[in-house]
Amino acid sequence: MKVKVVTRILEANERIARENRRLFDNAALYVINLMSGPGAGKTSILEKTLTLNTGLRIGVIEGDIAGSDDAERIEKHGAPVVQINTGGACHLDANMIYEVLQDLPLQDLDLLFIENVGNLVCPAEFKVGEDIKVMVLSIAEGHDKPLKYPLMFQESSALLLNKIDLAPYLDVDINKIKKDALSLNPSLKIFEVSCKTGEGLSAWTDWLKEKALRS
Amino acid sequence: MHELSIAQNVLDIVSEQCIRSGHTKIDSVNLRIGRASGIMPDALIFAFNAIKTDSIAWDALLNIEEVPVTGLCHDCSSSFIVQEEYILNCPACKGCSFQIISGRELDIIDMEVS
Repeated sequence: MKVKVVTRILEANERIARENRRLFDNAALYVINLMSGPGAGKTSILEKTLTLNTGLRIGVIEGDIAGSDDAERIEKHGAPVVQINTGGACHLDANMIYEVLQDLPLQDLDLLFIENVGNLVCPAEFKVGEDIKVMVLSIAEGHDKPLKYPLMFQESSALLLNKIDLAPYLDVDINKIKKDALSLNPSLKIFEVSCKTGEGLSAWTDWLKEKALRS
Repeated sequence: MHELSIAQNVLDIVSEQCIRSGHTKIDSVNLRIGRASGIMPDALIFAFNAIKTDSIAWDALLNIEEVPVTGLCHDCSSSFIVQEEYILNCPACKGCSFQIISGRELDIIDMEVS
């Protein structure tokens, strides 16, 4: 016999994401899901953000397939940090976040970064309870990336174009990256930054402050 | 890329619903998967077949209906269906202001149980 199911396959994840969202709201916490391919500079962006005097109390959840290098880098800056090892999974899901929330002083934070597993595909598919998604693309990855990995560009509120100091040494067409990214997502906010030289980072932290304090 | 975890979600949901409806075996499961969902139907079927063996869905056939990407243009008011997984412009007027109506589905519709 036929049985109607009519369920979203990711319903269980979305239910836990809503519970995370409720916990974040209770703590008046603004949450950013930070995504990129491996090596684009997510952790460096976070280190620079922690170094610049934003006045925000920032916590970090680090997601990696293995290892705790990133959490150790963040810890040196004095920010509360928890490392999640996904043990092979290509993205963080809502339950992985839920299980570590008790290890962070949520009430004492203004802003929580969830640094996702380095991957331009899957992290964009799974809600974790965040307010917004932000992605990093280093210009060395090439100007074809927005059209090859459209979903992440469509889902993100901001794009950090990192390693902009390398522009003179590369054949990459930065205007094409921006044009294609904006075609996919006209409301995308784009920052050209360099963690090496510090270029563009104050515009990013100004935007961040406005977002986090308005919540 | 994460078809295996999607397959595990499908198996968990249908197994629970089958038992709750008082049945003991799942014969088939019908899914609706959007072309822009990032899920490859062949890989999902492969993963489902790999994990179903020790479950009440051991003999179940997974049927997938693919849903094309459709949208509605705010500039020229035309509705459209495209073969691609994503679009940059309205196919009719080339405008950039449009809304995607379907194509991101990841839904279980129904199943045959016995």
